[in-house]
Amino acid sequence: MDYIYSILVLAGIYLVLSSSFDLIIGYGGLISIAHPIFYALGAYTAGLLAVSWHIPAVPATLAGGAVAMVASVAMSLPAIRVAGDYLLIASIGFQLGLLQVIKNVEFTGGDAGLSNIPAAIGGPLRSQIFAAISLSLGLTVVFLIRWIVRGPYGAIITAMRDDELALLALGRNVTRIKVVILALGSGLAGLAGGVYTFYYQYLNPSQFDVLQSATILTMVVIGGMGTSLGPVIGTFLLLGLPQAITFLHLPPSIMAPFQGILFCALVLLFIQLRPQGIIAARRPQT
Amino acid sequence: MLLILGQILWTGVANAAYYVLFTIAFAIIVKVVRLWNFAQAGMMGIAFYSMYAVVNLLNWPGWLALAIGMVATMGAGLLIELYGLRPLRRRHSSSLMFFIYTLILSELISYVLMLLFGTEPVTLFPSILSPVRIIGGIVVSNWDLTAVGATAVSLSALWLFLRFHRDGQFLLAVSDNGALAELYGISAQRAYLVAMAIAGVFACEGMYLFGTRAGVLPTTANDLMLFAVIATLLGGMGRLFAAAAAAAVLALVQSYSVLVIASKWQGLVLYAFLFIVIVLFPRGFRLPSLRRRRVEQPAVTEAKA
Repeated sequence: MDYIYSILVLAGIYLVLSSSFDLIIGYGGLISIAHPIFYALGAYTAGLLAVSWHIPAVPATLAGGAVAMVASVAMSLPAIRVAGDYLLIASIGFQLGLLQVIKNVEFTGGDAGLSNIPAAIGGPLRSQIFAAISLSLGLTVVFLIRWIVRGPYGAIITAMRDDELALLALGRNVTRIKVVILALGSGLAGLAGGVYTFYYQYLNPSQFDVLQSATILTMVVIGGMGTSLGPVIGTFLLLGLPQAITFLHLPPSIMAPFQGILFCALVLLFIQLRPQGIIAARRPQT
Repeated sequence: MLLILGQILWTGVANAAYYVLFTIAFAIIVKVVRLWNFAQAGMMGIAFYSMYAVVNLLNWPGWLALAIGMVATMGAGLLIELYGLRPLRRRHSSSLMFFIYTLILSELISYVLMLLFGTEPVTLFPSILSPVRIIGGIVVSNWDLTAVGATAVSLSALWLFLRFHRDGQFLLAVSDNGALAELYGISAQRAYLVAMAIAGVFACEGMYLFGTRAGVLPTTANDLMLFAVIATLLGGMGRLFAAAAAAAVLALVQSYSVLVIASKWQGLVLYAFLFIVIVLFPRGFRLPSLRRRRVEQPAVTEAKA
């Protein structure tokens, strides 16, 4: 039963990650794949605050979100200033560079990872409580993003994605909108990192590499980019799929790449056959 | 001290060989197809492991492995163009879709290679040692000479192909203005296929050199490709040989950074470059044009008079 609760905790975390990533890539049309590094920054900030300064879980998690937000501004300001594709390249470099820093500095635990993170919640109901917190956070983020994109600011965001030049001609500060979207999405990813930290009580840099980018991207693409429901469906589908193939009882050395092949093949199939994903986004009539 | 600097220079030049080849493979696709081909990492993986299988499973000689590797890589490139990119282009897919497609395809190939060959680093041949000679106090290995020589020959061949061969000239025409080139009867689709084939050849040659020098994992190509991305940016989009020069300079900077930066931070030098390039030289780094200045100078003098 504990296993099911741990899957639910992960589901909540990935709901936050995929929905916030959808805000950036789906609604904002900003091609960045550095989402896992903001998740990592949130996780490591929360973990280090708890380990070194005994800060309680909630403020530590909020601090994680804030650090991720600030870091995203540091990444996006120079890259967005130039042009679209440069953000993608900058995001790859930013993610790999920061991961290298995390791996090499001592206070993060380096390659061995950060351990001895105190338990925020104890007792026999720990997993249930964490599952409830994680899913609540996930659903809150889904509804928050839905509320944002359906409001006046959402109209500006999608207008920027659909015709940036027209929005510029209307006198809007497009750079500011992009930086705000990235900061908001990254900050939410940082919060997810905090939840991860206090549930698993152990962090390792390899959990936040480019493969993690591919996983989150897969959830959004398969579910449907630029929709509120798409990332939710993508998250549950992709978390459910590995459970469905566990009955094959494959050794871990085969299971890991096999899962990767399955995920990637699914994305490629969707791109070729149903690029809009399971849930198609509504586009303005022209 | 001078000898040490000289040795680092020579080793840096030799190591730059495979970086230059990877950069040309990446830059030619950017130039002709106008695509950031992240699937190149997958193509590089196919190149190395097909050669590895030929040498280590079939016990065939290295030159045959290189030939088979080139055919396999070119084949992979052509399949990617025909069955992956062309349908996306036909549907007028966004650049985001192209990006996701190439990135995920690369990941898929990495996973398949992991499944087939495991996750332990392997080299192309059982030994990576190469006979050495001392020239002017500098150690020069046979591998160094092969790498520098092969790269110089490949770059010259590419230059001749682009300048004098009909298909090469068509590549340049398509890269300048695809729509106009098509009006003149040049097939852009064919140019894309030729560019993919050339990228396959260069990627395979680079992996042969790299695989005879260092251990390779199914994910190694991702890091190597990032180097090519940075060099392409630094050289300036569409400037093939400038990108190759940028790759050589980057490799040398990385070699010399050993003197001042601990080896565990070497990778960061690359990422720092990436940011500097994006912020300061988004259109690539260009040396001041001496020719233009020479032509302009008399005009200025005349005006003053």
